[in-house]
Amino acid sequence: MTIIWILLAFLVGAYLIAVLESWAVHGRLQPARPAFSALALLGRESLLARTPDRLFFEAGPVLLLVAGLLAVAVIPLAPGLIVTDLATGALFLNAALAYVLVALIMAGWGPNGAYGMIGGWRFLGQFVAYAMLIVMPITAVAMRAESLSTVDIVTSQAALWNIAYQPVGFALFVVAAMGLAWLPPLDLPTAPGDLASGIEAEYTGVRLAVLRLARMTVILALAGATVTFYLGGWLGPWLPAPVWSGLKILLVAGLMVSAGRLVPRVREARYLALSWKLGIPLALTNIFLVGVIALVVPI
Amino acid sequence: MTGMTAQMIFLAFFGAAAVWFGIVVFRTKSMVRSALALLFSQTAVGLMFLVMQAEFLGVLQIMMMATEMSVMAIFMVMFMMDPGGMGAMDMTHQKRLSLWAGGIGLVAALLVIWLAAWGPAVQEIPGAAQQAADLGRELLGRSMFVFQSAGLTILTAMVAATMVAIAPRKERKE
Repeated sequence: MTIIWILLAFLVGAYLIAVLESWAVHGRLQPARPAFSALALLGRESLLARTPDRLFFEAGPVLLLVAGLLAVAVIPLAPGLIVTDLATGALFLNAALAYVLVALIMAGWGPNGAYGMIGGWRFLGQFVAYAMLIVMPITAVAMRAESLSTVDIVTSQAALWNIAYQPVGFALFVVAAMGLAWLPPLDLPTAPGDLASGIEAEYTGVRLAVLRLARMTVILALAGATVTFYLGGWLGPWLPAPVWSGLKILLVAGLMVSAGRLVPRVREARYLALSWKLGIPLALTNIFLVGVIALVVPI
Repeated sequence: MTGMTAQMIFLAFFGAAAVWFGIVVFRTKSMVRSALALLFSQTAVGLMFLVMQAEFLGVLQIMMMATEMSVMAIFMVMFMMDPGGMGAMDMTHQKRLSLWAGGIGLVAALLVIWLAAWGPAVQEIPGAAQQAADLGRELLGRSMFVFQSAGLTILTAMVAATMVAIAPRKERKE
């Protein structure tokens, strides 16, 4: 029963994020827009590219959706309101999101088209930039909680949220999460304008609908992860715990889908250089500082 | 008893899947399919860990292999003069040598399995959190030297392989 409630909550969340994203893109708040575009996609013919790798082409969007849902499974919305509280939750989240990469390679390479293929490989290049900056900040979070369980990570922030305890880790994680969810300015795999939607180029109809829904799930999972790791999860005064989780997740997701649009798209090489020359030293410093603070000050 | 049987069935299933994907690696004519087959073979090994209730190792294996094999795929595509990995090529070479090396490796592995003193099987499986803690102590204890040297060796090999693979450029004139 809990699982159904959580899935429903995340479905509503995915819809709201789609509304927010269309607001950020088109500048008008249209609550019905995602429903209409979903209906339109479902009504359209789902074309098959010429000589595709049928297995990769079909499996790509589905694998992306599965990866997003598995990541959602370890995000706690309230005490007890979690699909499964694994002892290795934070690591499991990483493992699930690693398959976003596999799904995008399959979806990009499968249709046998130039734009999609370039989009898929671009995402792999992007992965080399963001991957360490997802894992290393989580390491520091787990160090403070002395556990990989997402529930323990939330309760460890009762006295002070991690955004104040390790702000550098928070900043690195959010930017890396935007890279993982290929959100602007890191939307190189789709890059509307210079790559004709990249990995989405060869998908139409119901397959495109699955791909878009899966992407919303991934964004939601990442916003949920940010809230769990840095913003105290369900913790907060007055309101009930699930409401706090929902509000925080929507706020983070809304910022993630809108803020980056104010910045020009970052080139692959520049993103890689920034991540490795600036991001990773900062992440290592963050781990060191958190280790020292955890040993010296008991918060 | 039924739990044990179900566990054995799943273990055998994922083991067979790992072997099958391992065969696909060499039967396909595409670099990308080959790399992804290797990926799913390793994922199946990760699922075997999960079936054996080694949660941390399983999740770690599933995570690491997705990323490692994908990065391997892009390096293959970059070095192979085949834009995007769309072209077909044979995945086997030096067949006689490979057969011998594979055969000797298999015999060695079987000998180790057969001859090693494995000690008594654990009766009580520790909880997942306890496993992670035990593993951490092991890695920072007697296994540290082995892991550090292995890591450094792999890094050196990667840098060296990349250096060798880059075509030498003529020195620029000042």
